[in-house]
This record gives sequence, C-alpha cells and structure tokens, in this order.
Amino acid sequence: MELFLQTLIDGALIGGLIIVVGVGFSLCFGVMHIVDFAVGEWVMLGAYTAYWLVRYLGQDPMVYLPLIFALFFAAGWLVYPLIYRAVSGRRHHPALMGLVFTFGLSTLAKGGALSAWGYHVRSVSTWLSGQSVSLGVTTLPALRLAGFVFGVLTTVLFMVFLYGTRMGVSIRATAQDRETAALLGVDVRRVGELVYATYAGLTGMTGVLIGALFSIHAAMGAKYVIFAFFVVVLAGMGYVPGVIVAGLILGLIQSFVGVYISGRYTLFALFLLMYLSLLVAPKGILRRGL
Amino acid sequence: MNRLRWRAICWFAGVLALVTVGAAGLVAAQQAAEYKVGVVTSLSGELAFGGNVTKRGYDLWAETLNKAGGILIGGKRYRVRLIYADDQSTPATAAVAGERLITQEKVDFILGPYASGTTLALAPITEKYRVPHITGSAESPLIWKGKFKYTFGTIPTVTIIAQASIQTLAQDVSPKPQTIAILGIDDAFSKFAAEAFRTAAQRFGIKVLRFDIVPEGSDYTPAVSAAKALNPDIFAMGSHEKAAIEMIKAAKELKFNPKAFVQHYGMTTPDFRKGLGKDAEYVFGTSVWTPNLNYQAKILFKTPREYAAAFKARFGSDPDYTEAASTAAGIAFQEALRAINAPPPLTQAQKDALIGALERLDLMTFYGPIKFATSGDYYHDNAGLQPIALQYQGGVTVEVGPGKLRLKAPRYPTPPWDKR
Repeated sequence: MELFLQTLIDGALIGGLIIVVGVGFSLCFGVMHIVDFAVGEWVMLGAYTAYWLVRYLGQDPMVYLPLIFALFFAAGWLVYPLIYRAVSGRRHHPALMGLVFTFGLSTLAKGGALSAWGYHVRSVSTWLSGQSVSLGVTTLPALRLAGFVFGVLTTVLFMVFLYGTRMGVSIRATAQDRETAALLGVDVRRVGELVYATYAGLTGMTGVLIGALFSIHAAMGAKYVIFAFFVVVLAGMGYVPGVIVAGLILGLIQSFVGVYISGRYTLFALFLLMYLSLLVAPKGILRRGL
Repeated sequence: MNRLRWRAICWFAGVLALVTVGAAGLVAAQQAAEYKVGVVTSLSGELAFGGNVTKRGYDLWAETLNKAGGILIGGKRYRVRLIYADDQSTPATAAVAGERLITQEKVDFILGPYASGTTLALAPITEKYRVPHITGSAESPLIWKGKFKYTFGTIPTVTIIAQASIQTLAQDVSPKPQTIAILGIDDAFSKFAAEAFRTAAQRFGIKVLRFDIVPEGSDYTPAVSAAKALNPDIFAMGSHEKAAIEMIKAAKELKFNPKAFVQHYGMTTPDFRKGLGKDAEYVFGTSVWTPNLNYQAKILFKTPREYAAAFKARFGSDPDYTEAASTAAGIAFQEALRAINAPPPLTQAQKDALIGALERLDLMTFYGPIKFATSGDYYHDNAGLQPIALQYQGGVTVEVGPGKLRLKAPRYPTPPWDKR
C-alpha cells in the first residue's frame, strides 16, 4: 500500500513536469500548426541561463524565474518572424518547412551550447533541492512538488487568459481557423508572435526546474521533444486543458510500469499508448483536439 | 591575340603544375614523417563528457610523445597526429566515422570510443578494413565475446572490475550487509555493470532484493522508490556519469537511506563531485587505477604520480582511470610499432603484423601491466589489472579495499541524509 501510494505520487509529479513542457508546445501547435522541434533546446537554454546567473550573481535560481521568463519571451519574440517567414509565403509544404526550420534551430542551439559552454555535466541547486515533504507514509520531493504546482498553475492561468480575455478569443479563433480569423480582423501574425514568445518564456522557466532536478548539459533537451509530442497527441492536438490529463496519464504510466513491471518497459508502454491513441482516438483521449 | 591567350594558358598550367607538385610533396612529406592516428569518440550528444575523458587521455599521450620527439623506428623519430571523428554518442555514427577515417583519411590505426555501445559498432568496421583499434575506455564484455581480431582494450571488462566494491562491503565492513537492490541503465556498459553487481552479491552471499534495468534518460524516481520500499542495505547503480548524478539526487529527494550507495563509473569524475557537493560523500565506486599505486615504468611516465601531475598541469583536474587507460592505449600502440619496426605510413602487411605485436605485448606502464588476453572470454582485453574499491571521504576518492588495497577504512554505514 505504501509503495502504491508513493508510486501514485511519483507518477503525478513526473506528470507535473511533462505538463509544464507540454502546455506551451500544445498551444504553439494549436495556433501556428508548428511542431516545434526546438522545445527541448528552450528547456536546455533556460537551465544554462539559470546556471550562469547563479554562478555569476549568486542567489537561488528560483529568484531568476521572472527574469528568465522575460529573457526567453524576448528571445521567442525575436525568433518568431523567422519561423513565420519559413512557414508562410508561397511554399508548398508550410508545415514541413516549420518542422525542418525548428529542427535546424534545435541542432544549432545544441551545437552552440556545446561549443560555448563545453561538455561538462553541470548542476544547480535551489533551496528546495533535496528537501521533501512527508505525507503519511509517502515522501513528496519539494522541488518536484513545486514543478507540479507550477505546471498546473500556468495551465490554469493560460486557460483563464484564453477564455476570459479578448486576446484569448483571438488566439482561439486563430487556432480554429486561421483564414476566417484573419478575415474577421484578427492580426494573425501578432497572435502567433505572442503565443510563441509566451511559449518560449514558459519553457525557458521550466528549464530552471528541470536543470535543478536532473543535470545540465547541451544534449539534455532531446527527450523533452518526445514527451511534448506524446502529450500533444494524447491531449488532442492543440487542446490545452487536455495537457493536464495527458501529462498525468503519461507520468502515472511511467511510474506504475517502472515499479510494478520493469523500468525497461516504460518507453514501450508510452509508445504503445501513443499508437493506440492515434488509432482509436486521433483527436486525443478527450476527443477535443484538432 | 591568339598568342596572348596561349601564353595565359601556359602560365596557368605552369602555376597549377607547380602547386600540385608542391602540395603533393608536402602531403608526401607529412605522410612520411608521422603516424596518422584516427580517434573515434563522443564529442557531442549525451556522452560528450565521457568522450572528452578519452580525448584528454589520448591527447596527453600524443602531446607527451611528440614533445619527446616521437616513436623511434630504425634510428629515426616519427611523430603522431591525432585525427578526431565525432560519433555523436550514437553507434551508427561511430561506424560511419570510423569508415571515413579509414577510407578517406587513411589512418594507420584507431583509438576507440568512450562508450561500449559505440565501440561495438566500430569494431566490425575496423575488422572489415583490417585496421588495428584499441579502446582506452570501453568495458562491456560483449566486445571481447565478439572475438574481434583487430580490436583491443586497456581496461578490464566491467564484469571483473565492478565486483571490487561489493567484495569490500562483503568482507571488510561490519556488520556485513545482507541485502542489495540494483538499478542499471539499458546500454551495453551499464547493464553489465549492474549484472556484475548481481554476480558479486550472489558470490558473497548478499541477497538481491530487486534488479531493475531502465532506459537511459528516463526519470529514475519510480525505480528508486521501488528500491526504497524494500529497504536494502546496499543500493547499487550501473550507469555512466550523468545518470550517476541524477540517481543520487533522486535518492536524496525520496529520503532513501541505504547503508551504502555503490556506483561503477561516474563517481570518479570531477562533474560528479561538483554536481553533488557534499552529497557525493560516502558513495562507493570502483577503479583499476589511482595515482597512489606503486607501478614503476620506463615509457613516457615513470609512475602513476608523475602521470597525475602531468595531467593536472595540462588539464587542471585529477585524472581518473579511464583517462589513464586512454593514454595507456596510445603507449600500447607505440611499443607494438617499435617491436615490428614499422615506419609510417603502414602497409596492410604491417597493420596485420601490428596485431601480432599487440598480442605479444607484455609491458609495464604507469597505468600498470598491459598484456592482452589472446583467448577465452576476455579475448584482446587487458584483463589482468587489479580492481580497487573507492569511496568519497572528505571530498576526495580514497582506496578502501578490497583487503590489502585499502588505504583508509571504508565508512559504513552511510548516515541518513538528515544526519550528514
């Protein structure tokens, strides 16, 4: 029973991390129809930024979260016109162009980080690192709990923004039908810009949490592309609220398969679920995706 | 007009011929003067840190040898030139990189990758092109069981080395640990490290409560939680350096307090110490070489201490056994080349003769004896070195066993996280 509860909590907390990476990615896909292959590299760059800030300015990395959001928001703002250029105009396969372009961005960021900061595996620690909260018979790692809260909170905030503001309506309209939204006076390009910048800012912040939990190196982002992709497929392409459910399911599967079957089969179980989901429920488990 | 054009063509042809002859001469001169040594290792990707561990070892060999003038063959000295190819931490790329070095760069011999998975992909390529290849790092038993004629290795297989820490815990601490949980990563090296822990535990009468293999890069908390629930005396981890750091972080977060944490590779690297700080304390590991060993040698570095000092002066950090073994791989080539008296560039017959010379090699180096097995399960592996158990004590790794190899007593049991 004790192990069962701990497995449940471990799974939910892993899910929390997947949610944080998935939420921006899902929106980015929903609005701009771009599968951003560079999602892991935004995580990696966020982690490195926190590392260097701590190294040169001291303080706890958590202090820099707002600054990192601002920096990455600005970076996303700057990068977006390039992506926009790659996917618009008279190109035959805009979605494919977006894929190739972001894949290139990802390779560039990975290579650049390796050249600039070297091959060492680095770590940052926060005041939450190594701390934990005991809840009955189970142990909740504080940093993961923070990640979970952060993930759920950002998703909820995002939804409030999407469903409660005029800009949110524009974003949803663009996600539903780009042309019609443009005809009705939505500045589609500006919407895309805002979404991509917000996504970059959020993912950069997530990098700080992930960097503190695991370790920081140039290739650390690769696996998050896969997770983000899983989440988007399972949640329903572009359906943001589904991300919470999908993230939790993915976390719980990893945790339960790892404990009760064997860690060896976790990836197998995840892939199986993705294939089944695409076969049976291509619009996501909540049937609300595109 | 016509004459002018002809003159221009003549000038152009003349200059072109001169440049070609000059360049060819230069290339020929370069080829004649030095050995071209191909190095395939991970310079980017997941294993970039480890790849650079081997790079430092190989570089120190080449630099020290070239500073001394090179390899003395028939009264003349020949320098070595390392030509690197990045395997990007993936086996398929390692094979392509090796093929390129052999067919395009025409290297004389190859120093191999950091990881076992990439080495296993490179070995069939060096076999196909019949190019001698020594790895200064790979430890998977699969390499030696493959019986590759052209592949050698300076580190004993992990199935031999990884047992030292378990043996020390079984024989040299009191009360003797009774149970163990083992977690390994699913790659050619780490999985066998985990299996070696299991074999050793069974040999020394320690009960294996859980044996789990997880994919590289996965979240280790479920596996660590599962181990914690069984409350084992020892928690042993088979992994490379990055996972080694992340597993200890996960254990601390989950307040998992076994009496001993055991790792194989990872704990000897500076990144492990920097990344974990005081949480690295008490962790056990294994090695086949430390600067404190008493080897006396004549080639390049006379003692382990001299090597460690040269290494620190060059790279600013202390060497671990993989770096030493990578340097020793270069030394093995250098001595085998001297034995067959083969100046560069090597012909195919000389490359084949080099294999015979490597098989006959019986050397004492700063890294210890080098003698490659010529039959059995350890075919072409330098299997004769004595594994040493290490433990972090006061921010440094110290030799704690087994038996007479102990310089300091092992600290056991490890205090709980909140009492450190």
